[in-house]
Amino acid sequence: MSGRARLAAPCLLAAALAAPLPLALHARAARAADAPAIARAAAALPWPDLALGGGARHLRFLSLEEPAAAFADGPAVVDADPAGGSLAPPAAVWAESAAPKP
Amino acid sequence: MSGARPSALGAQLDLLAFALGALGRRGGRTWALVGGLASAMALLSAVVFLTEALRAEAARARANAPDLVVQRLVGGRPALVDVASAEALRPLPGVASVRPRVWGYLFLASLQGNVTIVGGSGAPAAGAPGGAPPADGGAALAQGVMLRGPGECVLGLRLAEALGVRVGDKVAFPAAGGDEHGPGTALRVVGLFSSPVALWTSDVALVHDDDARTLLGVPPGAATDLALALTNPDESAVVAKKTLLALPGARVLERRLLERVHTLSYGRRAGFVLGASLPALLALLALAWDRLSGLGPAERREIAVLKAAGWSTADVVAEKLYEALLVGAGAGALGLVAGYLWAFALGAPGLREVLAGWSVLYPDTRLTPAVDAAQLFGLLALVTAPYLALSVGPAWRAATLDPLEAMRQG
Repeated sequence: MSGRARLAAPCLLAAALAAPLPLALHARAARAADAPAIARAAAALPWPDLALGGGARHLRFLSLEEPAAAFADGPAVVDADPAGGSLAPPAAVWAESAAPKP
Repeated sequence: MSGARPSALGAQLDLLAFALGALGRRGGRTWALVGGLASAMALLSAVVFLTEALRAEAARARANAPDLVVQRLVGGRPALVDVASAEALRPLPGVASVRPRVWGYLFLASLQGNVTIVGGSGAPAAGAPGGAPPADGGAALAQGVMLRGPGECVLGLRLAEALGVRVGDKVAFPAAGGDEHGPGTALRVVGLFSSPVALWTSDVALVHDDDARTLLGVPPGAATDLALALTNPDESAVVAKKTLLALPGARVLERRLLERVHTLSYGRRAGFVLGASLPALLALLALAWDRLSGLGPAERREIAVLKAAGWSTADVVAEKLYEALLVGAGAGALGLVAGYLWAFALGAPGLREVLAGWSVLYPDTRLTPAVDAAQLFGLLALVTAPYLALSVGPAWRAATLDPLEAMRQG
């Protein structure tokens, strides 16, 4: 076996394994620059829940809104997994239930 | 092996290099196995990457949340709290400040979705929980200035896009009660939140407390909840108990517990997805076992030649295990990179809807990776280790072939 052939396999493996690390380090470093902005904006919000889900009854701050959900662990304890966690309600039902009634 | 007797490490490197060459000679079978294992790894790693990124994003803002939030419950549902009840909490030991907050949801028919109206005084005490940021807004704003007084609003980027407004424009919100045709409230847009904070603010309209009351129909003397800052956040459990004694029937939410909520919530969703994909992974490993068990005529002949040339059984076993290691680790690494790109470069299509949730005003921001070396190598081991374990039996069977018999059959 030539010396180059003997090194090819371990080098290829090491390069593949290390590939995600610089990507992750770069992204995290870039994100660190946003920390002051997040701190300022978060201080103005009711709670740090992410603006990603509508949640049961179409509410935004799930952790604040579901005191009687099935997963609550006890009195004065926030809910572990508010209902409606993984599937969105149909948009038509959403609009119908939230639209003003005559 | 090469002419001069190689060192132990040199011999292993020779075996590894030979294994790489052997895989190359059986390219079709090798790539089929690599493709299958890499696909399984991509799915597993994308779910883990996304879950960890969501947990990390939630944690980034948690440090700035109030230590305690006090709500009033009526019939098990949150109700408006009396602002005067804040006076009962201010004297409690350990309470630094109490701020009644006015916030809520406003349905906009034009968007077919809810907007979160958040009240701010415009000039909060420094460090007060739930208060508006400092007047300059800092990097939290992409354009304009932070809220200065009544008649103004600061909008999330996605909300401003959906409404088609820019800084300086006036935006008309419907009146309390959702009467689209009634006299609404027109507010001038003075600022837009920047994209780094879009994950928290994409559906938010920050307005003055007075405007929030008008928009949400909250009467003077009432508030949505009370935000408490403590002198020592570690005492939140003690202060929560005292709060419940001072305001019987209240619901007290501790920031400390929110971490557990986010961890459980995202972990449970990830568990559902991973559980659903487990049968596919097992089927793939069964297929790999089947492939590894069957030696083709060319492979039998190759082993026979190697043994006839002086390779020991241990050499053949090691070479076969190196083949499995190269396939398993190579496919695992390939899958890791694919999962990483799926989750963060492409925005996790097909996964984000299940793991992250949905919203009418969904933030466009890409999630930030929150992976560490331990996670990466743990994931790699998840696919590589079972594959290596499966390959031990077939490797032993191949190594114990009788060279003469194999030559005759080949």
